[in-house]
Amino acid sequence: MTISRRSVLKGMAAGGLAMAGGPFAMTGSAFAAREKELNILCWEGYNSAQVLDPFRKKTGATVKAESLTNDPTMINRLRAGETNVWDLINVNNPWARKVMWPEKLIKPLPKDEFEPFFAKMLPMFKWPYKWAMSDDGKELLGSIQRFGPYSFVVNTKKIDRKTAETTGWDLFNDPKLSGKYGILESDDWNVFNIFLVAGIDPFKVHTPEELAKFEETAKKVFKGAKLIGDIATMNQALVSGEIDLHLTGGTYSVSAARADGYPELRGITPLKGPLPGGKGGVSWIEVTSTVNNPNPTPLAVEFLKYVQAPDVAHTVAFAEGTFNPVAQMGNPECFKLFTKKELEAIQWDSLDEEMDRSVEYDIVPDYDKALDLMNAAKRVRG
Amino acid sequence: MAQTSLSHPTAPVSLEAAPALPTKRDALLSLGARCSLPVILLLAVGFVAPLIAIFAYSFAKPRTFEVFRSFTLVNYAEIFNGSNTVWLSFLWSLGFAFATCALLALIAYPIAYGLNRVFGKWSSLVSILFVFPLFVSENVRLYGWVLFFIKNGVLDGTLKMLGFEGGPQILFQPPMILAGMLYVYLPFMLFPMTLGLAMVPRDLIDAARDLGANRWQIWREVELPLAMPGILIGMLLTFVLGIGAVAEAKILGGQSVIVISHDIEIAFTYSQNWPLGSALAVVVTIFIGALTLAVFSRLDLDRLLGRR
Repeated sequence: MTISRRSVLKGMAAGGLAMAGGPFAMTGSAFAAREKELNILCWEGYNSAQVLDPFRKKTGATVKAESLTNDPTMINRLRAGETNVWDLINVNNPWARKVMWPEKLIKPLPKDEFEPFFAKMLPMFKWPYKWAMSDDGKELLGSIQRFGPYSFVVNTKKIDRKTAETTGWDLFNDPKLSGKYGILESDDWNVFNIFLVAGIDPFKVHTPEELAKFEETAKKVFKGAKLIGDIATMNQALVSGEIDLHLTGGTYSVSAARADGYPELRGITPLKGPLPGGKGGVSWIEVTSTVNNPNPTPLAVEFLKYVQAPDVAHTVAFAEGTFNPVAQMGNPECFKLFTKKELEAIQWDSLDEEMDRSVEYDIVPDYDKALDLMNAAKRVRG
Repeated sequence: MAQTSLSHPTAPVSLEAAPALPTKRDALLSLGARCSLPVILLLAVGFVAPLIAIFAYSFAKPRTFEVFRSFTLVNYAEIFNGSNTVWLSFLWSLGFAFATCALLALIAYPIAYGLNRVFGKWSSLVSILFVFPLFVSENVRLYGWVLFFIKNGVLDGTLKMLGFEGGPQILFQPPMILAGMLYVYLPFMLFPMTLGLAMVPRDLIDAARDLGANRWQIWREVELPLAMPGILIGMLLTFVLGIGAVAEAKILGGQSVIVISHDIEIAFTYSQNWPLGSALAVVVTIFIGALTLAVFSRLDLDRLLGRR
């Protein structure tokens, strides 16, 4: 490793983060042996004891995981110099291929060792699966597990599923529903969805007219929202009858409430919308990659293999907090572990068609502009 | 001998104990400075360094991590740009903080007075009751209020069960944010105020009464001025905490308004604009710092701590 001014400054940035409270600041020493150490930056689920404890027991390793709830923050933790802290990063599909690999924040996985796992996944993840591979198709950049459609959630006792799917995003343009919906606090997805409510494809460069329409829609949608909150708040508000539907949501957000005995709450994927091919929804697929840590641990690859096992994949699917389908359900050994109730919770009955009607999560080229407009719209709602 | 030396390190009482000449090290650092070195280092690393990092970030190019490598005032220009609505968030925070501070002063004074003069042997129990909620996480307590007030929740559901129309729908609105702040920050006003009132000598009140002062005069001219340091510290604490409050607006207010701390949080998370978030944090810190200095310049800490 050469020490340049840039690397020193990056180190300072990491040091600054550590001083500001980075919990694993001392774990990333570039000189310590890391045979028995693994640090994971992930969405919640992979940080649960149910998933980590058996791995700790099996390897005798110190495994630490920090969960965050948005991709840009995780990516920027690496950009700010934390590549020497983390070993695995678990984010949504476009980041590995479009950002982290070109910026050398992650490194490839051994294809020969991982290809057999893809063979056992659901057919939609058939090798070579686009989002797991580099742009040129030469490198495997990550492993696949959780996924799901993610558009909006309704209480089907108030708005039936057919109406919701047919009306689609226009539900949020309906003045009669003003004050009856919530908005999940998930601003990157809210940017996508405000574009969709405005009838615009989010995943392209937008004209000034389209951005003006976005701004107008954002103001209207935020003004009409009864509340903005986290997943627990949205589910609570749906169950109590405080709201009838909420923007941004799907299996990931509503499955816990469905498993708790509220099957009337349902993630909805619109039948049609302004996305390419007339598709109406957006889906996400997590890609877990090995971080380009200057002092890597062999446990990173080992962990990715460990979570492919049918029983562990089932545990990941039903880790605390959020329940999701997993790609490993393509393996009958894994699928048979799911009970009828669990399949209902993750909307298995409509999963295939909802994924078909969705385009995959992507990066909005003018996200910063759109987010600033949306934040301003939030401020004027009060 | 040892005791004497420790008590008066600069005035040795015996020739044996006194060094013939001060060493270079003694000249550089006194015993007191050496003793405080660990704390100074801890503060430097844990307190000053993050502030320096935030300050430095506020001059970095927007949406970059070029701290110490770039210098620009763009972030501050952005905040003070007339078209930026972030001032709305600042005004909400300021308004909530002032209202919390003023209302809590009115609410906490009678309780503090009661703890000092009325409740007698029950004072300890009452104090514990006010301290007890602090042992539970603020978020948990706020979610508890949501469950209490939400439609078909504890209040609404119970009233409906008893045949009434149901409870008031007060959640997810700005007044509920203020109510949450009053609830959360009450102990921070109450205890400094109680301490302040405890500092008022009973003899002075008796003397004022003997000299013919009425209750209003005693309160206005004796009790209030003498208790003022405690009251001011309570107000300062609640104001500073209030201006940084975010959980109440998010959980009880359902983000019906965006407060300044939430804007800072958004800048550091979804926007990934650390320089702008840092500039916002610096502006808020300077504002609070100036206010704190102004208040402390009017305070006599020696008197508050009972040294005279």
